[in-house]
Amino acid sequence: MWRLTVSNALAHRSRLALTWLAVALGVAFVAGSLVLTDTSSQLLDNQFRTAAAGVDLTVRTAAAFNSAMGVEVQRAPLPADVVGRVADTPGVDRARPIASGAGQLQVRGRAVLPAGPTILGTWADAPFTAYRLRAGHAPHGPDQVVLDAATAREHAVRLGDTVTVSATTSKQLRVVGLTGVGDRDGLPNSNLVLVDLACAQTLLGLGPGVTSIDVIADPDVAVADLRTRLATSLGSGYAVTTGQDTAAASAAAAKQSISYLRIVLLALSAAGLLVGAFLIANTFAIVLTQRSRELALLRAAGATGRQVFTSVLGEALLVGVTGAAGGTAAGIGAAYGLRGLARGAGLALPDGPLTVNPRTLLVAVAAGTLVTLLAAFGPARRAARIAPVEAMRLSDPAPATARRGRLITGWVLLGLGVIQLAAAAAFRDIAGVAIGAVLFLAALVVLGPVLAPRLAQAVGRPLARLGVPGRLARESTVRNPRRTAATAMALALGLALISFVSVLDSSVKAAVGTSYREAITADLIIESARNEMLGGLSPEVAHRAASLPEVAVASPIRYGHWLDRGMTSALTAVDPATLPHVARVRMTAGSLAALDGGGVVLAANVATERHLHLGDSLPMTLPRDGQQQLRIVGLMDDASARALSTSYVISLATYAAHYNENVDASVMVALAHGVKPQQARTALGKAIADFPNAQIRNQAEAAAGRAAAIDQVFGLITVLLCFAVLIALLGITNTLALSIVERTREIGLLRAVGMTRRQLRSMIRAEAVLVAAVAVVVGVVVGLGLAAATLGGLSSDMPLVVRVPVARLLAVVAAAVLAGLAAGLLPARRAARLDVLTAIATH
Amino acid sequence: MTTLEHALLSPAPEATPQIAARAIDVMKTYGSGDAAVRALDGASVTIPAGQFTAVMGPSGSGKSTLVHALAGLDTIDSGRVFVGDADLTALSERDRTLLRRERLGFVFQAFNLIPSLTAAENIALPLTLAGRRPDPAWLAELVDMLGLQNRLGHRPSELSGGQQQRVAVGRALIARPDLVFADEPTGNLDSRHGAALLSFLRDATRTLGQTIVMVTHDPVAASYADRVVFLADGRIVDELPAPTPEAVLTRMARLDVPAQMVGA
Repeated sequence: MWRLTVSNALAHRSRLALTWLAVALGVAFVAGSLVLTDTSSQLLDNQFRTAAAGVDLTVRTAAAFNSAMGVEVQRAPLPADVVGRVADTPGVDRARPIASGAGQLQVRGRAVLPAGPTILGTWADAPFTAYRLRAGHAPHGPDQVVLDAATAREHAVRLGDTVTVSATTSKQLRVVGLTGVGDRDGLPNSNLVLVDLACAQTLLGLGPGVTSIDVIADPDVAVADLRTRLATSLGSGYAVTTGQDTAAASAAAAKQSISYLRIVLLALSAAGLLVGAFLIANTFAIVLTQRSRELALLRAAGATGRQVFTSVLGEALLVGVTGAAGGTAAGIGAAYGLRGLARGAGLALPDGPLTVNPRTLLVAVAAGTLVTLLAAFGPARRAARIAPVEAMRLSDPAPATARRGRLITGWVLLGLGVIQLAAAAAFRDIAGVAIGAVLFLAALVVLGPVLAPRLAQAVGRPLARLGVPGRLARESTVRNPRRTAATAMALALGLALISFVSVLDSSVKAAVGTSYREAITADLIIESARNEMLGGLSPEVAHRAASLPEVAVASPIRYGHWLDRGMTSALTAVDPATLPHVARVRMTAGSLAALDGGGVVLAANVATERHLHLGDSLPMTLPRDGQQQLRIVGLMDDASARALSTSYVISLATYAAHYNENVDASVMVALAHGVKPQQARTALGKAIADFPNAQIRNQAEAAAGRAAAIDQVFGLITVLLCFAVLIALLGITNTLALSIVERTREIGLLRAVGMTRRQLRSMIRAEAVLVAAVAVVVGVVVGLGLAAATLGGLSSDMPLVVRVPVARLLAVVAAAVLAGLAAGLLPARRAARLDVLTAIATH
Repeated sequence: MTTLEHALLSPAPEATPQIAARAIDVMKTYGSGDAAVRALDGASVTIPAGQFTAVMGPSGSGKSTLVHALAGLDTIDSGRVFVGDADLTALSERDRTLLRRERLGFVFQAFNLIPSLTAAENIALPLTLAGRRPDPAWLAELVDMLGLQNRLGHRPSELSGGQQQRVAVGRALIARPDLVFADEPTGNLDSRHGAALLSFLRDATRTLGQTIVMVTHDPVAASYADRVVFLADGRIVDELPAPTPEAVLTRMARLDVPAQMVGA
């Protein structure tokens, strides 16, 4: 039986080719996602391990948590005397004080903005670091700097050139050396700016303090023992970690953003595989219908139903395994493409050779095989039920019509889904929306064979104008409900996801933009060009802005991470005195000015949700000193919270007490009376010229910048969803190609009685377009509905109004219909090439 | 053969009005090398207008190939084929399709009708493909003759085998073609329905002057024709005017003997 299975699969290889391709495409997506995220993690691990090189222990001040949302917590500087205490501890061979932090680099007056950080650090040789000088010498003194060779090459910096380095303060430094990291020329997506300790301390504004101390243990002392000894002698204010742990923690922080990417990518690959499953199920169903007489003959010859079933599943196994293997191979290559796409969407992913884990191969091949087997299960069961007498039947079996049970199940599911969606949207319950969406989609799959032909009838009405070919196209689409449904549903699913994402994108964008414009009254906003999560503006920027005569108020805003019952959350720090001049914060209780006393202002809806009231205490775990009780001194409305980006607001003074970060996210500027914005802009630009990452924007530009960030994320998702749509389009091609095989005689007859090749081609193309059009109608309607429900569900966080991006959706519709036309080209050509004679001779 | 050679060498012969179609020295080989099968080996035949001609021959004699060549459904290797004064060998694929649509009608053994179209739509198909409407009077007359008055709105799956073949005949005649080709039209019918269909075809010739060419292997079916031509080994070997089943059977029996022994 297995030999029969294999020869069957080979005999039908052209029919199975597109199925194979669908499996391969879906799997390629899965494999590509896994390879990309594995590679990025691996590269980050290597990067931090290399950087930690020969260090045994690192001493830093203690912090309540290491990192949040992919950003490492900044720790308080170590007092200068700790260096001596560490160095004098028995068992310490060498101790090296380090001052490091985020900096900016300007070459020839232009800011160098890598995708990742610009690391301003303290130079040291091996064994402390993996830095290896490629040219020149190490930096000594207040005006020397070493850059990584890669950055220098990219920006044509040579030894002896002068560059500007800024952090808290700014300096002109001469490049005296170029370094590599291990055997590489630099760190991925980053710039290395290395100076001596004193220079780094000045630039970072640390005074005599240092950020950490690297320790190398005596060769005869166990590192673990030394760690205990150091921790005991330094006390609880300091953390002593092994070099490996430090590297692992840094890598873990950097990898957090990749884990989000992995979830998104895998979710989208799942969508691709799901669409592929429709196509696979459809292909097997069609091929088996065409072979039903042959299968009946097998049964008549003594094969059991079970043998037929096994044989069909065997064929699926063959297609699944080979398709998955091909897809995995392609996916490894696709990882490069995905990396490019993700970078295009603003994600900083490290460059380097790909990492292919055995797990990736296993998961990808297993996923592809399993999906194929599951999709073939239904058709195989039906094939096993073919009675031997059907071998003797002359005419082809009529396509199955929907059974009563299916209809009832479908309508019940649909009803439940719609009720659930409406209720969940009304009660702002996002989890409920998800359940409703699943019910709704299940209903569509069940009802597809009933709905699709009716839709095809309605949507295909204009086709009648094309004359007989158009009418026939419509008829044959309607004739086989199950097939049309499966083909259209696969595409509809992809299109529904795309319209869903489009609506979500434009609605969220509109909400963010509106609340920003409503709440922020600042004339100008200074922001970091790189949009760092916690902000990257030196406090000097706000200081200089405030001292300009054109400026009435310059109010800085900062962000911080904190742990809320163990979960990472974010807060906003503001200056309660100046904020009202640049923003309209509407308080529903208490007052903003009360923040001066060290409390916190909550968004009103959060307070309601958490049953908190004015005067209650909110336990917050803050990075420098752990859990603190902050008194709730005010409640603000939701729009204000949105404009300030978080639901928790503290004062800058409170922030300084609990955080070590000393950078502003933005500085909101209100101009002095009678000053023209353009004039102020010029003056501001001049005043902060040596802070290259500071960008001056007006309100509209700032709002647009936020919209662009949202667009980037949704754009990436949309591009990736196009893969699913591509697979669905293959489905149209495949289904049509197979139905042409089935309709050989009909096509021959039409040709014999005078249908021209051109008419035949237009008939087949019209079929493809019609299926695509049905999918478009279903997809867009479903996408809009689900988006509306989701936005309703999300409204507990922010009241969202559904914004339908009409132009964009029209573009999607047009693209889908055109793609449908393209999907029909190949089958149409094939049909037109069919020899009239062989077509009618097939008795 | 001399007249045929003459016809071959001379330019396109003047079509006489009495000749509906003719094949001149047609050669057709399928496949190549060892697998090559010579289906037609210098076949020449003239189909007179207004007559019901049956083409007979043992299986493999090339009778279907000959009719397909005459109908422009198949290309030939050499020789010439005329429908009226149109030289099919000189026409493009598209022009041959248009010629089929305008001037020829077809009835096949099985699968004659498009399943998704009603009986009426199937009958009108060649005209609608050309973007025309059937002449209502002629349609009514045809439907009446075929006895399909109550079946026009039905789809093929709702019609009996005999009704389906009558719809096919209606479709073949609707465009008032110069020539109707019928390929084993009664092959799938029981004898009663078969006889009715054959009578109808004969009546179409007698009363409407319709030219019909029918391929069959059934001597009884052939006896409905005005004339029977016999094929063997890819060429015309005999012909029989005003056939009876018995006469056809006798000739056929002779054809089953290897050709060289007959001396054709």
